[in-house]
Amino acid sequence: MQIKLNNRLYEAQEGETVLDVAKRNGIYIPTLCYHAKTGQAAKCRACIVAVDGMRGFQTSCNLKVREGMTISSESKEVTDAQRMVVDLMLSSGHHNCLACERSGTCELQDACYHLGIEKTTFSDHPTGIKDESSEFIVIDYDKCIQCGRCVTACNHTVVNEVLGFGFRGLQTTIMCDDQIPMGESSCVQCGECVQLCPTGALTDKKSRGKGRYAELDKVDTTCPYCGVGCQLTLHVDREKNAVVRVTGREVWPNNGMLCVKGRYGYEFHASPKRLQYPTIRRNGKHERVTWDEALDFIADRIKTTVDKHGPDVFSALGSGRITNENNYAIQKFTRAVIKTNNIDHCARTCHAPTVAGLAHAFGSGAATNSIDEILETDVIFVIGSNMTEAHPVVSYYVKQAAQKGSKLIVCDPRRVDIAHWSDLYVQLKVGTDVPFLNGLMNEILKNGWQDETFMNNNTENPEDMKAWVKDFTVEKASAICGVPVETMLLVAKMLGEAKKVSVIYCLGITEHVSGTDNVKTIANLQMILGHLGKRGGGVNPLRGQNNVQGACDMGALPNVFHNYQSVTNEKIIEKMEKDWGVSGLSRKEGYKLPTMLHKATTGETKILFCVGDNTVQTEPNTAKTIKEIEALDFLVVVDIFPNMTTEYADVILPDVCFNEDEGTYSNLDRRVQFLRKAVTAPGEARPTWWIMQELGKRFGVDLKFTSTNATWEDMRKTGTIMGGITYERIQNLGLQWPCPTVQHPGTPVLHLNGKFTRGKGLFSQTNYRPQAELPDAEYPFVLSTGRRLWHYHTGTQTRNSVGLENIFPEELLEISPADAKMMNVKTGDMVKATSRRGTITVKAWVTERSPEGVVWCAFHFREAHANVLTNDAYDNVTETPEYKACAIKIEKVSDGVKVMERGFRQARP
Amino acid sequence: MEKIQKCSCGSDEEGLLERLEEIIISFKDKPGALIPVLQATQSLFGFIPEEAILKISEMLNEPLSKVYGVITFYSFFSLKPRGQFLIRVCLGTACYVQGANEVLTALKQQLSIDIGETSADKLFTLDVGRCFGACGLAPIIMVNEEVHQWVKPSDVKKILNTYKKQKASTKEEINQEEIS
Repeated sequence: MQIKLNNRLYEAQEGETVLDVAKRNGIYIPTLCYHAKTGQAAKCRACIVAVDGMRGFQTSCNLKVREGMTISSESKEVTDAQRMVVDLMLSSGHHNCLACERSGTCELQDACYHLGIEKTTFSDHPTGIKDESSEFIVIDYDKCIQCGRCVTACNHTVVNEVLGFGFRGLQTTIMCDDQIPMGESSCVQCGECVQLCPTGALTDKKSRGKGRYAELDKVDTTCPYCGVGCQLTLHVDREKNAVVRVTGREVWPNNGMLCVKGRYGYEFHASPKRLQYPTIRRNGKHERVTWDEALDFIADRIKTTVDKHGPDVFSALGSGRITNENNYAIQKFTRAVIKTNNIDHCARTCHAPTVAGLAHAFGSGAATNSIDEILETDVIFVIGSNMTEAHPVVSYYVKQAAQKGSKLIVCDPRRVDIAHWSDLYVQLKVGTDVPFLNGLMNEILKNGWQDETFMNNNTENPEDMKAWVKDFTVEKASAICGVPVETMLLVAKMLGEAKKVSVIYCLGITEHVSGTDNVKTIANLQMILGHLGKRGGGVNPLRGQNNVQGACDMGALPNVFHNYQSVTNEKIIEKMEKDWGVSGLSRKEGYKLPTMLHKATTGETKILFCVGDNTVQTEPNTAKTIKEIEALDFLVVVDIFPNMTTEYADVILPDVCFNEDEGTYSNLDRRVQFLRKAVTAPGEARPTWWIMQELGKRFGVDLKFTSTNATWEDMRKTGTIMGGITYERIQNLGLQWPCPTVQHPGTPVLHLNGKFTRGKGLFSQTNYRPQAELPDAEYPFVLSTGRRLWHYHTGTQTRNSVGLENIFPEELLEISPADAKMMNVKTGDMVKATSRRGTITVKAWVTERSPEGVVWCAFHFREAHANVLTNDAYDNVTETPEYKACAIKIEKVSDGVKVMERGFRQARP
Repeated sequence: MEKIQKCSCGSDEEGLLERLEEIIISFKDKPGALIPVLQATQSLFGFIPEEAILKISEMLNEPLSKVYGVITFYSFFSLKPRGQFLIRVCLGTACYVQGANEVLTALKQQLSIDIGETSADKLFTLDVGRCFGACGLAPIIMVNEEVHQWVKPSDVKKILNTYKKQKASTKEEINQEEIS
């Protein structure tokens, strides 16, 4: 249709607003309360226009276009009215742009500029009230125009539900919780309110005075923390070589939303603690050497050892933290130069059961669907995921969906925070996922809720499945998993009757001795329900690290080359030998990470080349890990910070971090996304692909890693599922694999229409296997572990960024109120936690998140981390350790200072 | 925000919180439970204490900001303890013209409190309103649900005394009930 705006005709679409049309055609209409994400509030009245045939003025942000509409946004009458609105807004507070962070990007300033307002014609009303109590966000109430964008964002975009409006009339104000300072409130500092504030009322505390928006270079890149792969913009001061602010990009997968780590944990790159020069340990001390010295030394040691003992004494670790290119470089070096398949990475400690289990059932070991589809589903079934802390941005989508009416079922032994938004919270006993899910399937089949057509047409062995599950009655399952029969029946009914179910799971499923079985059981469930190969369904593991998906895709695994090409398939090996121009590639599977380490004590592993993996702190049973690491003949560590593992290294090589080189990460929905260089690396830090190229040369092999792009191209041309993903194509937005050709648009949904990668889906029989170490009289508690919102893994990034440690300075052991009462322990008291493998002393946090008999702590703080206690028992298929369950005892050490606890939904006491 | 005070009359405040829990449970699964629960809280405590806000938020699974937002939006709810008798002086145009402001001043003097405050003996809370819809009786004041019309500053002392006596007699009644 056509509309007439300011005497000119414009094309408009049904359903568009006048503001949409104006914006698209570059016509400025002042808007303050409107934002694409928070919707058409029509509150501020700044966007008023005059429409022929309509009385008074209309707000253009919510005025739908009609054929032949005649609108004026620039007549004197209209701009006078707009001017009055903005003038009154100026007078309602104290808007002084001189030292304002937002000067230049402030939408109120823009409105004044366009309307020619120099200052308010009324008197202004400064209150001088500022809330600077929180770590990262400043609220300047004098600059708040009560547009409500932050309130809507907090309640409906990120759904953290902290900000609200209080009081009424002239007294109306935004506030946190029950009008307490932000720093004391349940605010998780995600910063979405700052991102959406049109004025300088909400600003980033750390960025104050460090450069206004326009003065800084903006570099679009990918977040270096969890596997969501949020797109963000780094605001860079080139002269100071520093990132001074981070904002979210309003594109998929995160649509501008970030979490506290992504938005505020950015200074680590500039930390003085960074590793800057290669060092070699001589006489117990790490001494600085040149790159040539270090590389010659490494090459020499590898050569002499491998010549004497064969290539399998060499093992390498890639990482879910480093780029695809770097992972590819390590695996190619290990396979093509050393000729061993002993390459693995930290997916072993998290989602290896996912890769194995889903590849077994579907033929592809990755999430089947995309993050955005969460909003299109009917029932979201979350099991074993503390998503509000470990994958905050995914949790925003889940909470949004729950708010919009999707049913949310949360199953977890701990009452994780996402349970607050659930329709049904199911508390099952630690490690009883298989009987629980089998019980559900039994009930689903009993009631005929299964998708019979899908089972018959798209799976290989539906009848076998039905036969196995027959014995798993709900009653039997209930007796094992501790979930009441009626709750199980309710869950089965909700799942069985839903049109679309999306299963989301995380490490609560995989980090068990039955990890692979747990994953297979989830695959069984979704194949019975037939929610695969369509939008809004699927089996969706939340991959833990920024690039753990990519590290798998790049073949940093002992059984596959990049793109999951088997290392035991003769045809593929021959192809790789031809593609890489080498001969004699190893024909047998390599060692998995735990085996590499175990074999150090028997002398079968002599060299470990470890990139971006703090093995000592992340493997279970630290005391044992240290023994194994010490038994190595030669340890090379490539990393960005000194950590528990570098202490044992013979050579330490300084790596570059996420914003010091370009490259790609693959996120949890298989999206290959681009990273850009924003700052220069400190000292002589070098990217891993360069290190591998230089090492290759010393073995007489040109690995063709002349640049990141060259490395990627080498991978792309010898790979399969990523053949169509070029740097050029992903400059703005990522692409989801499989994407075999450069014309291919990428694949948001795997196994479309039930056509599985492996042909037909495969049901697997699974049986209950209890945790390896059950609690007993001496060690009566089950310890489970995981990740906190405020920190990331071994803390090398988060503890070297400003502020996160102020919010959460030390590890806490979460204890249930009942157990705490029994032991006379209060929040803040020091307790000693002991397992058969070690002891840590930590502060207690008495919280209802923990069920009776279960305690929890994370592994972020080397001073007291969970892995001293965790059990080195492994999943029998993938050797993934059982981090989620071991037996411990707790003794109170001393009374602590009483901690004021307030409210709930807190990620900290 | 005020917390529950340990009352001098020795009434069991913890008991009230338990009572509140029962009330919340009875409303829990009904849509729009927040306002009726807040009303019940207001009558139970005479105001809405901090502990109650936290409890309501947790048990109804509503954000604290929403609970607090509703409380502060409606003048019926109070975050401070109110006296037994809430005096509201109409300052609507008709009452104002007829001398309501002078009545208000007299009340302030007699009770030694300002608007929004409660007298030391916890008997009276002083508040103002905008037109009670009975301009023919101006100036008027309301004490709880009772209307006093054509009030002059000189009437104030007498009105207050009536309520002081009422309070005293209810106390006696309670005592007698307890004895019997």
